[in-house]
Amino acid sequence: MNLEILLAIAFGGSFITYISGRISKKLRNIFAILISVGLIGFIGSLFGNTTEETICPGFWNFPLNLRINMLSWFFAITIAIIGALAIIFSLQYIKEKERTDFYYLMILLVNSSMIGIVLSGDLILFYIFWEIMSWSTFLLISYSRGPAISAGMKYIVMSIAGSVAMLVGILSLYTHYGTFIIADLSNQLSLNTPGFVLFIFILFFIAFGIKNAVWPFHTWLPPAHSEAPSPFSAILSGILVRMGMYGFLVIFFVIAGIDLFINLGSRLVHFNTILAWIGAINIIIPTFIAMLQNDSKRLLAWHGVGQGGYMVLGIAIGSSLGIAGGTFHIINHTSYIALLFLVVGAIEYCTKGIRDLNSLGGLIKKMPVTFIGALVGACGLIGIPLTNGFVSKWLIYKTLITDGYPFLAFAALLGTWGTILSLFKFIHNIFLGQLPEKYKNIKKPPFSMQLPIIILSLIIVTFGIIPGIPLKVINQIMISSGIDSLNITLWGVNSETGTINMLNIFTALLITGVLIWLIFKGSKKAKQIDQYDNYTAGTYVPKDKYHYSVEFYGPLNRMLRPYLKDFIDTFYLKLAKSVKNLGNGIRQIYAGDIGYYVTYIVFFLALLIFIQLKWTLW
Amino acid sequence: MDRNKIGKWLKSPGKMAQKYSLHALYFCTGCGIIEIPPTITARWDAERFGVIPVATPRQANLFLITGYVSLKTLKYIIRSYEQMPEPKFTVGFGSCPINGGMYWDSYNTIKHLDKYIPIDGWIAGCMPRPEAVFVAVTHLWTLIDKGKADGYKKYREDYELYRENQESVLGKLEWPPLFSKEKQHEASV
Amino acid sequence: MDTMVNTILEIIAIILLALLIGLFFLGLSRKITARMHWRYGPPITQPVIDIIKYFNQTSTSHGYLFSFGLILSLSGCIVLLLFLPFGHWCPLSSSGGLLVVLYLMLVSPLGLALSGGEAANPNASIGISRKFLLAMGYEIPLLLIVVGVMSYYDTISIVEIVDKQLQTGCSFQHLPLLLSGLAYVLILPAITGMRPFEMIQAPQEIASGPMAEYSGKFLAFTTIQHALNLFIGISLFTNLFLGGASNPGYFFLKTLVVLIVMLIVNAVFPRFRVEQAIRYLWKWSSALALIGLIIVAIT
Repeated sequence: MNLEILLAIAFGGSFITYISGRISKKLRNIFAILISVGLIGFIGSLFGNTTEETICPGFWNFPLNLRINMLSWFFAITIAIIGALAIIFSLQYIKEKERTDFYYLMILLVNSSMIGIVLSGDLILFYIFWEIMSWSTFLLISYSRGPAISAGMKYIVMSIAGSVAMLVGILSLYTHYGTFIIADLSNQLSLNTPGFVLFIFILFFIAFGIKNAVWPFHTWLPPAHSEAPSPFSAILSGILVRMGMYGFLVIFFVIAGIDLFINLGSRLVHFNTILAWIGAINIIIPTFIAMLQNDSKRLLAWHGVGQGGYMVLGIAIGSSLGIAGGTFHIINHTSYIALLFLVVGAIEYCTKGIRDLNSLGGLIKKMPVTFIGALVGACGLIGIPLTNGFVSKWLIYKTLITDGYPFLAFAALLGTWGTILSLFKFIHNIFLGQLPEKYKNIKKPPFSMQLPIIILSLIIVTFGIIPGIPLKVINQIMISSGIDSLNITLWGVNSETGTINMLNIFTALLITGVLIWLIFKGSKKAKQIDQYDNYTAGTYVPKDKYHYSVEFYGPLNRMLRPYLKDFIDTFYLKLAKSVKNLGNGIRQIYAGDIGYYVTYIVFFLALLIFIQLKWTLW
Repeated sequence: MDRNKIGKWLKSPGKMAQKYSLHALYFCTGCGIIEIPPTITARWDAERFGVIPVATPRQANLFLITGYVSLKTLKYIIRSYEQMPEPKFTVGFGSCPINGGMYWDSYNTIKHLDKYIPIDGWIAGCMPRPEAVFVAVTHLWTLIDKGKADGYKKYREDYELYRENQESVLGKLEWPPLFSKEKQHEASV
Repeated sequence: MDTMVNTILEIIAIILLALLIGLFFLGLSRKITARMHWRYGPPITQPVIDIIKYFNQTSTSHGYLFSFGLILSLSGCIVLLLFLPFGHWCPLSSSGGLLVVLYLMLVSPLGLALSGGEAANPNASIGISRKFLLAMGYEIPLLLIVVGVMSYYDTISIVEIVDKQLQTGCSFQHLPLLLSGLAYVLILPAITGMRPFEMIQAPQEIASGPMAEYSGKFLAFTTIQHALNLFIGISLFTNLFLGGASNPGYFFLKTLVVLIVMLIVNAVFPRFRVEQAIRYLWKWSSALALIGLIIVAIT
């Protein structure tokens, strides 16, 4: 009963918000915040429930089920929190633009459909909610017209291709096993029919891989993230693409089971090894392409693609540490990529639409809170100790090294350095350096924009120091799916081949930091000077010309740029062009002249008579 | 040298450290700069006295003005001198900063550098050999010991006079005054 | 209680000893370089004199991040010291091992980069970009080498690697790790910032890079950080490939030998450009390290 009420509030709330937007803007804002925060509370109260209920026994003779267990709760609470933070952020951000009621309707609809996906116990409902999510995303990506429309078209075409693959997979599962309900399908797939299992895995890999932007299918993501409005980019890259990861978890561990997943394959090569290698390539190439970008949102979008590789890699290894690391990385990545997109949104709002890295600089003096948020988000993305990214990456590396995959470990470790380079360029070109003259009078972002940034930074640091809280939830997920559990303490993980204990690292850094700060304070006080009193070999600082930000990694860009072209994108564009040419070619048959049609008819009749005379088929 | 006398180190470590670690700003003025590279490289080694060249004024505390000073160079000298942290010492090389030297009747050079920034010591010659540089450095040590190398304190106290002299020759200066009236009596070193 | 007092004493001893040894190494490097150039050079205690002078000077600061970045960098260095075994002392050994070391090595350059960026000087920004590019250059062979060592000894804990080497001889005597060790010797000057990889602080080109706007106490902390970084770079190599040591004195002698070998190269070479350095690091040492990793993976 609870689950139906939850979904009813979510969907109904979005329509009520739209209608109340016609009455008054303030009423609509209040409704939007109430519904999104209320959803957090409601889902939080469902913690620990494991129920399954049938909401409609006869939808074309198929029962529809909703269910909640620890995995669904884990994703649902993340969706609700990120949705609420994005809506609070967009109160001020979207105020000046047009069609704001439509925006609120769509964003609440996206949230509700995502909650519907994770709560569905039945593949039909799963597909229905998946489709609602896909097209409402398309409408939001194309929200600001102009180049956003082509970005949205790219997204929707690839998403529909994925949905078709998923539909084929669902229908073939039905024809084999006669049911759509996930709980009943759980133990049906077996190793006796390896060809069929491989077919299902590949179909669902295509479907969820397109949504998750796994490497061969990632080309829709950079344009879509750059053109969408920033609070929606936060939701999009944070949790919407990770619905693909939820799909992976469902198909690989809930429906197929861990033993089947690890053992599928011949003696030479296993399915999960190929998946791990795809994950490894997915880590390296996008993080290095991110280094060459000059648009801040595109840089973050390429990182969104790259970090998905860590999750796929962790899950594909199949050991309990790996699965825990991969799943933990999902919410970690959500927190910091949402934070970084909200930071870019705040900067866009304050500088009236500038997000090009080559024209900003020195904004730390005007927006210190935003800078701290960007710094914490960047540290989390890199994986500095004391942030939650470090814990999940440590789990993945450990399982790679101790289970004997040295090359995958090297690939995973290498991704960190591409991340550091590109994120430092991001922070330096926006916040550090000299402040240009035209931004001398910009104001700080309003509090409704600073609040989500502060909350997300606190989440990153808290989960970094006390990783036990989310890891305990993940442990329960793994137990309920039949995987071995880990020995989780509040501060880290104890396993028999090496422990991680964040308390030691945290205390050590804190105490040494405080000691050095005391020595610093005890020395002579430093005189504060502004940016115009700088070393310029004796002259005064030329305003607006004393900033190094264009071609920040010049030598490396020159070396790597010829190798880092996105050839998959070129391949897809060529494919689309050749389909269009084929269509054009076929269209030539309909020349419009009746003489051609008569000729076609006469020739076809002659062919039929010839066949009848020669081989007497009829 | 009394570099190895532990007692003096314990009594006044600041003064001893200032003496034996003079980092010179590598500011190349006029023709005297030709004598500096032999001084700091292998033949006449200046590093054994603790003197090494550094790149920016912010890291330096010894300023060598090694030749004639034209008007353009005077602006850069004043700016670099003001960016150096205190305590700082300046030494004038050659006869041009003392009284104009060879260019005593030129329209473009500064005849008495002492009017524009405070100078702690002079080295006569046109140009002084590297051995003269070392004599100057050791003499500067004795001055620091006796507390007589206080050009920077004079600059702080008489800043208005110095600035007036600078502006009379250079016109309006683009940078604001380094010391305002209230700061002149702040305790420094 | 006893072990906690022991640990705290070990921690204090390691930090003080590492600082003294680092400053001694800095002074020794200036002296040996000078002697190789046929001149006398400063006394070995010159870095200490420099630090006392820096603390005695006034300083200027560009903002809060200017100081905070430097504090972050220095505390990252000091915490990193506690994870590397120094003789038989290793206080924080049970908290994650070599992976934590690899990640804590990121904190120090990041802090310095934030502080230099706040200086609002393009020389500092160019220096920082060179620093990260050089780090990108030496990280590829370094990661191949470290993953190879971890796979060979089948553990992620440095203390276990040192113990195994004390029993079975240093890593150079194990044939599969020989190529990895050679590759590490080739990249060691890049990790510690000695010539020919000294392009981060290039006084003649970019006005000493990130340190362009430092004065007074900031320079003192930078010198301390330089000393500690030198010690950490050499100490990691000694622990992974030369077998660590069973007591601190012997460890100090091993690091001294490594330092003198590096100084002989340092005194003779000029500095590379960044793209030449990256090409060198990605061509020869990466090739050697990759072949080494393949050999370790096969056996």
